[in-house]
Amino acid sequence: MSTEIKILKQVLSKYSKPMTLTYPSTVAPDRRYSQIPEGLRGIPERDNDKCIGCRACYFVCSGRATSIYDKDAKRTVEIFLFRCTFCAHCQEACPEEAIKMTNKFEIAVPDREDPAARVLTDLELLKCKNCGTPFVTKKLADRTYERLMEKIDPIVKETVSTDYKKLDGYCPDCKRAYGVDFDTHTKKYVWLEGI
Amino acid sequence: MLDPVYTVLSLIIIVPLALFLGVIYSFLIRKLSARFQWRVGPMFRMYSDLKPLLGTTRLLQPLYDILKLYGKETIVPDVSRRRLFVYSPYLSLIFAVTAILFIPFPGMPLLSGVPYSLIIASYLLIASTLFSILGPVASGSPWAAIGARREVELFLVSELGFVLSIFAVAIARQSLVIWDIANGGQSIYLALLTVAAGVLMLVAMLGKLHIKPFDMPEAEAEIVAGPYTEYSGKLLGTYYLTKVFILYGLVALFISLFLPPLATSVLWLPLYLLAALVLVFLLTAVQVLNPRYRIKNAINWYLKVVIPLGILNLIIALAIWLVV
Amino acid sequence: MGIIDKSRIYSPWLYHLHCGGCNGCDIETLAALAPRFDVERFGIQLVPSPRHADILLTTGCVPKQFIPMVKRIYEQVPEPKVVVAVGSCACGGSLFYDDAPDNYAILGHPDLLIPVDVYVPGCAPKPEAVINGVVQGILKLAEKRTKK
Repeated sequence: MSTEIKILKQVLSKYSKPMTLTYPSTVAPDRRYSQIPEGLRGIPERDNDKCIGCRACYFVCSGRATSIYDKDAKRTVEIFLFRCTFCAHCQEACPEEAIKMTNKFEIAVPDREDPAARVLTDLELLKCKNCGTPFVTKKLADRTYERLMEKIDPIVKETVSTDYKKLDGYCPDCKRAYGVDFDTHTKKYVWLEGI
Repeated sequence: MLDPVYTVLSLIIIVPLALFLGVIYSFLIRKLSARFQWRVGPMFRMYSDLKPLLGTTRLLQPLYDILKLYGKETIVPDVSRRRLFVYSPYLSLIFAVTAILFIPFPGMPLLSGVPYSLIIASYLLIASTLFSILGPVASGSPWAAIGARREVELFLVSELGFVLSIFAVAIARQSLVIWDIANGGQSIYLALLTVAAGVLMLVAMLGKLHIKPFDMPEAEAEIVAGPYTEYSGKLLGTYYLTKVFILYGLVALFISLFLPPLATSVLWLPLYLLAALVLVFLLTAVQVLNPRYRIKNAINWYLKVVIPLGILNLIIALAIWLVV
Repeated sequence: MGIIDKSRIYSPWLYHLHCGGCNGCDIETLAALAPRFDVERFGIQLVPSPRHADILLTTGCVPKQFIPMVKRIYEQVPEPKVVVAVGSCACGGSLFYDDAPDNYAILGHPDLLIPVDVYVPGCAPKPEAVINGVVQGILKLAEKRTKK
C-alpha cells in the first residue's frame, strides 16, 4: 500500500500540468514540437545552381537512394526519399557543397510518385563535337577546367590550357580515336625542364 | 410510484439516458486516467484550428468508438460456432439493458419496486457477463479461449464478493426489493455497514469492469485482446455498448444500495451525479495506481481479503438485523 | 455527412505491424503514442488485435518468411482500412533491398504485398512525422468513406 501512496504522491505532484505537446495544431507554437536538435538530419536539399552532376553522391549513397539518369541531353540527379537513410554521406562527399541536410522532417506523402518524395536537379549535357553523343554536363566540364587552372603548376599552365581547349567538347571515345589529329603537347619534358 | 403510464415512459427514457451517462462515465475514466498519467486524453475542447476536421468536443468519445464499429465490416471466423458467436454479443447487450431497468434512477423508480428486484438485477448482470464469456469461447481462437478462461476464474471470485456485499445490505435492511432499500433511512450501524459492504462492492466492481489490477482477461501485452480478439465491427461494437451499460448499471446499483436516499427523488439528482463522479474517480484512481495481477494472485487476494471481509459484512448485517 | 461517417474520423484505431527491421521506427512510433504526443487527444488508440483496427501502421522491410503473415494481417483488418508505412525501409526498402540483385532473405518494402496509402519516410522518422502520417491516413479514411 505504501508504494501506491508514493505513486499517488508523484502522480499528483505535477497533476495540474499535462506534458503533452499540441503537435498537429498550431494554437501554441512554442509547445508544438519536441526538441529539434542543432544537427538533426532531415530532408537533404540540393542547390540547383551549385550542383555540377559529378556523381560523387551517387557513389557514396548508402541506401542507393541517389540515382542518375541521362536522357535527351539532360542529366537528372535524384534523391528518392523513400530509400534515403538520412546519413549525410552525400553532404560530406559533395565537392561543391551543393547538398545540405535541412531539419525538415514532416514528409508524409500519400503517393509513390509524389514530387515531394524526390529531390531533383536537371542538368544540361554537353554533346560531342564530333559524334554528337551527350557525354558530360556542361557545368562539370567548366568546373573541371576552373579547378585545373587553380591548382596547376604555373610552369605548365599555358601548355595545359591550350591543350585543354583543343580537346574540349569531344567525348572520351573520340579523344582516343582521333587523339593524333589534335596535335596536343604530350611531351613530358616540358615539366622536367623546370627542374 | 405504480402509475403504469409513468413507469412505461420512464422505461423508455432510461435506456438512452443510461447510454448517455455510461458514455460520460467511461469518458471520465479515460480522461481522468490520462490526466493521472500527465497527458491530455480525449479533449473537452478541440484545438481551434483542427475543429473543422476533428469536431468540437470529444465528450462522447466512447460513443464515437461504438458508432464507428457499427459502420465497419464484420468478420466472422470460419472455425467459429457461427450462431453462438454472432448472437452472444446481442444477448449480452439485452441482459445488460434489462438489468438497468431494475435499478432506480432519481425520479424514476422503474421496475425496482417489483418483488425480489435485487436478485433479478444481479442475475441479469451475471447473465450479461456469462454471454461475454460464451461468445469468445465460440470464436475458436486460442487467445479468446485463454481470455475467457481467465474471465471465468475472475468472475467466480469477484461475483462472490458482489453477492456477499449486496446480501449483507439486503439482510440488514430486511428487503430484497431495491426500491425499498433505496428508500430506507440511515443510522450509525447502517452507515458502518455501508462503508464495509461498499468497499467490498467496489472491489467486486473492479473485477466485473476489468479495471486495472483485475484486467487480466483483456491483458493486451499477453493475450492479444483477450476474449474480444476475434470480434470486429458490429459485434465488437455491441460488446463495447454492453460494457457502457454495465458500467452505468453497477454505478447506479452501488448508489441505490449503499447511499440510500440518493436514488429516489428528483431533488437528489445533483448529489446522485456527484456520488457517481466520486465513484468513477475512485475506480480510475485504482486503475492508474495498480499494475496487473496474475490470475493466481488475483484469486488468492480475493480469497484471503475479500471473502473474509464479505463474511464479516454478513456478520455485521446479521447483528444489525437481530440487535437493532 | 452521417454520424457514423464522422465517428470514423473521430476514432481511428491503430494496429502496429512490425515486419522486421531495426526497431528504430518502432521506438519512434511508440514515442508518438506515449504521453508526450498523446494521440488519444484525437481518439487514436493502439489496439492489440488487427480485427479492431482502422489504420495498419507498418514498419520495416518484409523478410520472405514474413510474407504470409503480412498478407493475412492485412486481410484481417476490416474495411474501410488505411495502411501507413513508417520509415524508409517500409517506404522504399532503403538499405536492405535492391531491385537488381535478388536478396535471399528479404522481399522488400510492404508495398510489394499490400496497398500502402501513406508513406512516412525517415530513418527513423520523428514522432511528429509519424503523427503527421497518421493524420494523412485519417484524411484518406475520410476519402474512402465518400467513395462508398
